[in-house]
Amino acid sequence: MIGGSISRWTMTYFAAALTWLLVALALMVAGIGHPAADLAAPDTLVLVHVVCIGWLSIAMCGALFQFVPVLVAQPLFCERWALPALVLLTAGLVSLLAGFMALGARLPSAPWLLPLGAVLLVVGFGLVVVDLGLTAWRRPTGPARFVLVGLASLCATAAFGAVFAFALAGWAGRMGDAVLARGIPLHAVAGLGGWLTLTAMGVSYRLLSMFMLAPDVEDRKSRLTLAAGALAIAATVGGGAIAIGFQLGLNTVLSIAALFGLACAALYGRDIAAIFRSRKRRHLELNMRMAMLSFASLAATGLLGIVLVSTRTLPLYLGAFAFLVAFGWLSGLVLAKLYKIVAFLTWLETYGPVMGRAPTPRVQDLVAESRASKWFTIYYVSVWMGTLALLAAEPGAFRMAAAAMTVGVVGIVREIVRIRRLEDVASPLRLPAGAVAPHLLFAKT
Amino acid sequence: MTDYLDVDARPILRAGGEPFSVIMAAVGGLQQGQGLRLYAPFKPVPLFTVMADKGFAHSASELEGGEWEVLFTPVGAEPETTSIVASNSPFVPWPEPVVELDNRDLDPPEPMVRILAAAEKLGPGETLTSLLRREPVFLFPQLEKRGFRWLGGFRPDGATYELTVRAPL
Repeated sequence: MIGGSISRWTMTYFAAALTWLLVALALMVAGIGHPAADLAAPDTLVLVHVVCIGWLSIAMCGALFQFVPVLVAQPLFCERWALPALVLLTAGLVSLLAGFMALGARLPSAPWLLPLGAVLLVVGFGLVVVDLGLTAWRRPTGPARFVLVGLASLCATAAFGAVFAFALAGWAGRMGDAVLARGIPLHAVAGLGGWLTLTAMGVSYRLLSMFMLAPDVEDRKSRLTLAAGALAIAATVGGGAIAIGFQLGLNTVLSIAALFGLACAALYGRDIAAIFRSRKRRHLELNMRMAMLSFASLAATGLLGIVLVSTRTLPLYLGAFAFLVAFGWLSGLVLAKLYKIVAFLTWLETYGPVMGRAPTPRVQDLVAESRASKWFTIYYVSVWMGTLALLAAEPGAFRMAAAAMTVGVVGIVREIVRIRRLEDVASPLRLPAGAVAPHLLFAKT
Repeated sequence: MTDYLDVDARPILRAGGEPFSVIMAAVGGLQQGQGLRLYAPFKPVPLFTVMADKGFAHSASELEGGEWEVLFTPVGAEPETTSIVASNSPFVPWPEPVVELDNRDLDPPEPMVRILAAAEKLGPGETLTSLLRREPVFLFPQLEKRGFRWLGGFRPDGATYELTVRAPL
């Protein structure tokens, strides 16, 4: 079968990811992790990994299990690996978080927790990388190339993380300690920049042109964007590893990577603008309007980076910068696209089998955009307020912003559950003869 | 490394000919372990099933201008001995379409809805064609589940996807 079937566990991944997002928000509201704690404190490590692994990576993996087969028009290399991978990732993350909490004396000391978590995460991500990588490799064109570079970055991120975990347990020797002492920026850039950002960019190219009826971005252009991004990551990981090995400073390496990264963001902006200009569909759906706010956040991230570097205050405001990347750009885009993806997949799962045989609702009939737009607006405004609060070093204001973000996210989650339960579909059309209501947490097909 | 015999179906199809017998003759003449490299002006999806029955796995890659290169690699399975009857041939000319849809300017997933609705009204063996903006990947599993067969590919301009759907006999 050509890769347009529904991935059975994508909804399960989304549900797990949204649960972790709510955990992260609860931590921020409670003031656990940055900015109340130091950037390198165990509490901050808990928060950062809940956000980056639990929320963003698991949501991204779920989306990729559905979309890589569509991008390459080939079936997934192995359908059966998706669920074990999720179990391993969840177990690994829980063990890692417990390890960080033990490090911060919130749990009894247990040095083996971090290496155990690292091993489980490496095996879980390994299944994901092999499965998606071998699928994308069959027809590595356009967006699929971004996914391949993203997966390579994921491998680099996981490798650094595993070394850190063993070094924190005291099991990695002098070399491991050296990597731990200086390699954290490399781990962060490879994860947020290479894995999450480049993959999100690649998938967005296809989703945007598909949903707005625009021609695909010229291969030559998207290749240039990817090349800039890939060079940024290669410079960070390769150059950084050499610098650590020879005990040289990381500043030159990171400056070169930053220039490539800015070029990549600018080229991506150009490509996205071209898709919007050439679209046949003039009316923009909610997910597209909200995605634009996340593109604006990415642009703001670039500007903020330039200002912080030129005033030499980046180390001071790294938390604000990372927060805007994680919540303005990445989380905003993922939430906006989840809203559309869940509606589309639910529509396809429920009504695909009876389409043409009985009257069926449109995808738009599954959503209530005017109600949902309120929650998205609350989310974005509070993310930007949170960024300002971090820049102004006002922890109290930041916690209020986090509380407002929670309100927005709970509202969005409620909308997604309603979509899954077909609650907004008018009752005569809701379940035509032969259609089966979908399960909340997995696809029945 | 598998050694491949090249068959180029493009000139035959361009001349309005029927390459199925040429392909089957080439398959019959393959050495033990040898594969077949096929060039076609569209992705020859129905041929994949025929070749799978004969013990060949396929990997298709798109070339410039919407043309396809397909590698059929023997997988060591026992080849099917029954001969392929003519009606199963992917290249026997399908009847002229009874419905022609232009779905290029419809919002997704409206093209899929219209094609399925029109397909349900076809008589046995009848065909319909549709013009689309992109490969309708989510439509294929639905067609497959209902027993329809299809041929599709981009026109040389790369902007219009032409799909032909045939109802089961």
